Amino acid sequence: MKLVGIAGSIADQSYNRMLLNFIAKHFAGLVDVDVLNINDVPMFCQDDDQTDSPVIQDLVKKIQAADGVIIATPEHNHSVPAALKNIIEWLSYEVHPFDQKPVMIVGASYHVQGSSRAQLHLRQILEAPGVNAIVLPGNEFLLGDVKSAFDDEGNLKDQRTIDFLQSTIQKFIKFAEVINMIGQTNSYEDEDLSAKKGTDTTIEGVDMNDENWLDKASKKVNAVEGDTYVKLDSGLLTVNQLNYFLKTIPIELTYVDENNQFIYYNRFLPTKDMLAKRTPAQVGDSLDTVHPEISRVIKHVKQVINTLRTGKTDLVSMAVPGSDDKHHVMHYYKAMHDEEGNYKGVNEWAVDIKPIVDQYLKATGQKLVKDPNAQVDANSGASEKPSVDATSGASEEPAKPEVKVDATTSASKH
Amino acid sequence: MKKFIAIVGSNSAKSTNRELLEYMQKHFQNQAEIELVEIKGLPIFKKSIDKYVPKRALELANRIEAADGVIIATPEYDHSIPAALSSTLAWLSYGIHPFVDKPVMITGASYGSLGSSRAQSQLRQILDSPELKARIMPSSEFLLGHSLQAFDDNGDLKSEAETEQLDGLFKDFLQFVDISEQLNHANDVNKQKAEQFSWDIG
Repeated sequence: MKLVGIAGSIADQSYNRMLLNFIAKHFAGLVDVDVLNINDVPMFCQDDDQTDSPVIQDLVKKIQAADGVIIATPEHNHSVPAALKNIIEWLSYEVHPFDQKPVMIVGASYHVQGSSRAQLHLRQILEAPGVNAIVLPGNEFLLGDVKSAFDDEGNLKDQRTIDFLQSTIQKFIKFAEVINMIGQTNSYEDEDLSAKKGTDTTIEGVDMNDENWLDKASKKVNAVEGDTYVKLDSGLLTVNQLNYFLKTIPIELTYVDENNQFIYYNRFLPTKDMLAKRTPAQVGDSLDTVHPEISRVIKHVKQVINTLRTGKTDLVSMAVPGSDDKHHVMHYYKAMHDEEGNYKGVNEWAVDIKPIVDQYLKATGQKLVKDPNAQVDANSGASEKPSVDATSGASEEPAKPEVKVDATTSASKH
Repeated sequence: MKKFIAIVGSNSAKSTNRELLEYMQKHFQNQAEIELVEIKGLPIFKKSIDKYVPKRALELANRIEAADGVIIATPEYDHSIPAALSSTLAWLSYGIHPFVDKPVMITGASYGSLGSSRAQSQLRQILDSPELKARIMPSSEFLLGHSLQAFDDNGDLKSEAETEQLDGLFKDFLQFVDISEQLNHANDVNKQKAEQFSWDIG
């Protein structure tokens, strides 16, 4: 489970930061905690909105992508430190990354109180409508006498304290799983497969679902073609060269933009021979047109896209119908991002990995045999053959997209 | 005539809490001299090894020490006082203790109907902490709801009922300041305790 940790102090020396670092290190097998830096956040002021600044955007993205947040608060004047309150103000003004986010509160203090009053204030603050976090109820971790609580390596000395902390974290993991399950239900439903929301690159004035969208849209924007050069990130190619290149990649590639519009595939096979059967007339279509009107499929597509859009994971992979003894077809969906890290759509590829498996077996002298104890699960899906949807058309039906997203399916650990 | 420091709890250029204090300054000019203080520009409170306190905070502390009392008008951000005000109060209790036994009147304004009630109740708790130890006027709240519509073109409160309530509370506050002067038996001890309350062992 991916968590972010926020130490509510910007002091030169902070025991609350130390506590979070200890949690990150000691419970690394249980949770993956990224301790955020809040030192350089400017003072919140309504006259000078800095929501778009890199320092705040970084906090927003990390919190949004996390499964939960652990806040370690000191107590200043019977309340939370101004530095902590300050970031919550930024993160409840124009953006709301804490919305529906599971939060666990811990705290350390020099005396016996363990920041008890600050923790209560923090609970009230996190419940404010603009913040709307969901705080783990009924559990408090108050670390008193903090000056003598750690050894020289920054480890908590008292085993009973560690055990208690572990049981609280375990409760929080369960809590976060449940809250996120509810949250996901809500958020994926908002995914607009009709692509009406538009985006910076959406070509206006041409019907997306028009069979000749490609020609009409190209004309509309005076798209270059043929031997015109295009400067790329690390190369210079003509449009023709780009096409030669993409068409010889022996993997079916599909580009769906952040508006859920299907805008490209590398057509190197006739439709009937493809793993994911696409047609030229579908280019430009919104995803609900590409997919058949089967609510189950629509739901799965929404879930996959939303998982990528919200940064829960960078990569969703699954086996799809059509595999047999000679083929093992995999579909991969990877989130694309621009230089600033904004979501830019899905890079989908379909590939038969059987030749790779065969090559591996040949090289290692091994054979494929059935495992009688094999448990089919969503992540492997290897031996699973869901019923094939005859009408699934251009796109595959994801086998079981309600994948449990966790660190192991993530291409990059943030 | 009594001298009060009035702290505008917002760092925003347009603030109905500032309007409220400006109104009080004008409305009560025959009863007290009220000096408004802005908190914008003070950095976020940070504990440092050398215990640095910004010069502006030190100056503000001196003005509070010299005053007969303090009026604070707080907005409510996320059910609590703004970070900018919280930060100011933290500086004013970091090695300096101008609030110890200082009479304080809490007021607040908000756009909605609640008039910053939650922020005011947290502020009460904050001012009661050992490092601040202010003498907050008890059983008294002035919650100005719908503050965008509360003032006329001259900056005067439109509602007679609210004006009457504020008049009464201010009269109470003047008396509370007098009474507070007699509640000074523990003053030396309180001062001493606040000073002993070192942030790095506390």
